[in-house]
Amino acid sequence: MRSLWIITKKNLKLLLRSKGSALIIIFAPLLLILLLGLSYNTSQQYGLNIGIVSAEKTDDINSFINILKTEEFRIIEYGSELDKCVEDIKTGTVHTCIELPSSLKVEGNEQKEVTFYIDPSRINLVWMIQETVKDSFNLKSQQLSQELTQEILQKLTSTKEDISKNLIELNAIKEKTSASSGSVNSAKEDLSKIDTKKVSDDGTTQFDPEIISEMALMLEDGIEKIDNARTSINSLEGDDEEKDEIRSVLNSAKGEVTKVYNSVNGNTTGGLGDILASMQADMNATEKKLMAAAASIDTTNGNLAGVSKSLKEAIQEIAELHTSLTQSHAVLSSQQVTEAGTITAPLVTKIHKVGEEGTYLNYLFPALLVLVIMFSTIVLGTTLVMMEKNSPAYLRNYFLPVRRIVFIISTYCTNIIITLVEIAIILALSLIFLKESISVLGMVAIALFLGGTIFTLLGMIIGYLFTSEETGLLASISLGSLLLFFSGVILPLEGISPLLREITFLNPFVVVEKSIREILLFDSTFALLAGKLLLLLSYAVVLFVIILIIDWFMHKHLMQHFFNKRHFAHRQKEKVERKDG
Amino acid sequence: MAELIQLKGVTKEYKKNTVLEDVSLTIEEGDLYGIVGMSGSGKTTLLNLISGFLEPSSGKVLFHTSINEELRDLNKNLKMFKKDIGFTPQHNSFYHKLTVNENLWHFGSLYKLRKETLAENIKNLLEVTHLSDHKHKLADQLSGGMQKRLDISCSLVHKPKLLILDEPTADLDPILQAEIMTLLQGVNKQGITVVFASHHLDSVERVCNKVAIVHHGKVENAGLLETLRNSNSPDHFTINIKSEDNKEEIINRLKELPVKKIVDKGSSLIIYPKNVNKIMDQLLTFIEEENLHLKAMDVRKPSLSEIFEKIAKE
Repeated sequence: MRSLWIITKKNLKLLLRSKGSALIIIFAPLLLILLLGLSYNTSQQYGLNIGIVSAEKTDDINSFINILKTEEFRIIEYGSELDKCVEDIKTGTVHTCIELPSSLKVEGNEQKEVTFYIDPSRINLVWMIQETVKDSFNLKSQQLSQELTQEILQKLTSTKEDISKNLIELNAIKEKTSASSGSVNSAKEDLSKIDTKKVSDDGTTQFDPEIISEMALMLEDGIEKIDNARTSINSLEGDDEEKDEIRSVLNSAKGEVTKVYNSVNGNTTGGLGDILASMQADMNATEKKLMAAAASIDTTNGNLAGVSKSLKEAIQEIAELHTSLTQSHAVLSSQQVTEAGTITAPLVTKIHKVGEEGTYLNYLFPALLVLVIMFSTIVLGTTLVMMEKNSPAYLRNYFLPVRRIVFIISTYCTNIIITLVEIAIILALSLIFLKESISVLGMVAIALFLGGTIFTLLGMIIGYLFTSEETGLLASISLGSLLLFFSGVILPLEGISPLLREITFLNPFVVVEKSIREILLFDSTFALLAGKLLLLLSYAVVLFVIILIIDWFMHKHLMQHFFNKRHFAHRQKEKVERKDG
Repeated sequence: MAELIQLKGVTKEYKKNTVLEDVSLTIEEGDLYGIVGMSGSGKTTLLNLISGFLEPSSGKVLFHTSINEELRDLNKNLKMFKKDIGFTPQHNSFYHKLTVNENLWHFGSLYKLRKETLAENIKNLLEVTHLSDHKHKLADQLSGGMQKRLDISCSLVHKPKLLILDEPTADLDPILQAEIMTLLQGVNKQGITVVFASHHLDSVERVCNKVAIVHHGKVENAGLLETLRNSNSPDHFTINIKSEDNKEEIINRLKELPVKKIVDKGSSLIIYPKNVNKIMDQLLTFIEEENLHLKAMDVRKPSLSEIFEKIAKE
């Protein structure tokens, strides 16, 4: 156990005494974590550039834009130029385009559709956009929902107030109708008081209708006899018998008429006289009753006039009530949004992917390509320089009549030849999965070549700066990791502070990956990529100049170090030999 | 002979530490120059100054250009100088994963020689270094001696005027050391000036015509080896005596002379006089007068080791 600790202690001492090892092994991961920690230690999402496409800028659209602005998104307005916005997504100028309807105001049961245009190849960014813009979007949707609910509530309140008023009026109508009802009852009572009974129930006023018939028959008979008499008289020219007969008839007629006379003069009980007297009495009683009825009718008329007035007023009030109810109905009918779904979610989102639909490989392929090339070229660049530096022939190279730049370029060329072979193999293999991309592979190769050049030169710089191969390799892997972490492949760059983000956008990994993504997914032309490719080229030139400067400063030092290291070993041996001798 | 390299009052300092001080030295064309010294004496620094790898802190290193036949500052005309030198560092300096032939072609091609010339050079070198049979072997498959020969060949592939070697026999056994020294002699005979540093004084003494002894950052003695030995006269001489009678007489006579010490070795006497030449004359006169007989008389010049030891003790 003690031996284990002693050896471990020795190893640690050796590591720490080698400045390069200590720096890289201990401080590189710390630096990496520190840089990443400082960069991503923010919850703000102010890195997102959002393009707004809306033909009209109504107040509610402006309100939505303001919500986005308060979230510190950078808003770029495109008017109705959706195509331009989509193109800018492809070039990375904006991260998403939001196509808004002319107004967000919901006027029917149809929800308003908001379309998000996103680049699906930037998977983590898509997630971030959805997560962050969704909040703003939900806020606006909530606002609209609140507005709609408020509108409904206002209408309900207004209708409630109207109904309250109507109830008062209705009560008044009710009271008036009750009063009218009372008046009508009173009239009814008055009318019921009118005596319509037969005036003579004792029978005095009764007469036998047969009397009239008898009188009629008698009168008829009298008349007939009289007529017979006339006829007999007319025929009197001699015969008495005939005259007696006339007399007898006339007597009979006289008797009949006398009876009638007696009946009429009341000389006969139950005759016409009695009847007429009885009738006179009935007539008087009837007159009295009619007088009472007239009085009742007058009272009823008065009551009915009041009822009529009340009813007229009631009709008026009912008409007003009708108008009020009609208005309330109109108010409620004016509520166009009646679907619960529309009220709770007035805005709906639609995600539209920019570019052709592809598999996840399509989206990840550019990053994978650059990742492979980056690590292989950085490590290879470092290894080749280390190989040369640590080669026994390094010292001999100093005495060759060859300029240093030739050695540097040859190291670069060696690396780039291997890189080109790698690129060719990778692209050839990629054809299995991305057959449709064959036409753009040339441009992809150019971008990869430039990227490979930059990473090679970076690896070479590390190779020149570090002494031991192990620390150099560790440094190159650390640098590769740093470039990867600040590339947006793992964590979206939009999550870091603006200054750092501006710097990381210059990360060669980002530039190369962006270029390849645009080529593979959006078929970008060479002209569109010229800026990025020129940037990569300028990086390569700058890095090459840096290598020349480092070499100029360090070559003699390195040679001396190389020489001393070997010479020191020899001297130590010589001393040992002398002691032994 | 024309001067090839000339050091004029050269001083080299590392961070206020003087490694070499006021060194003046001339290497002429055709020299086989050995630089000897103890570890840390500054011989490698001197070699690096001669090769142009280091710049002097003060003084000048000049070299004879083949263009105008004039001496020029080496460090200011390094590119021109590099074509004329071959440098073999202490440790093998070639690509171990290339074959013998590939190494020679690689380094030779970088001197922009015509292909035919280079092919001829390589062929000759392979013969001289006895590597012809191994030319297709990887360098790291060669023995130590062959690797050293390959290393020297790489320095000679462009036929330089000057070959500089740092400890060419270090880490080699005596047989290989002798082999390498013979090789250097052969190279020198082809008209190539050879300068090398070594702590194997016997080897240096055996092959070099000129020697520089570096001690504590100073060149104590430099020039022709013979002159060096002559200038370092011996402090003793040895006589071999025929009989014991003669020995007694001679000892008695020597005691009358200014002699510091007499070591009796039986049949021989080692005499340490104050002045070797004077005492030798007086002793010879005495022997002649007394008709004594000597077997032999040896006044040996000091070896390089002795000279070096003497300097080291001073």
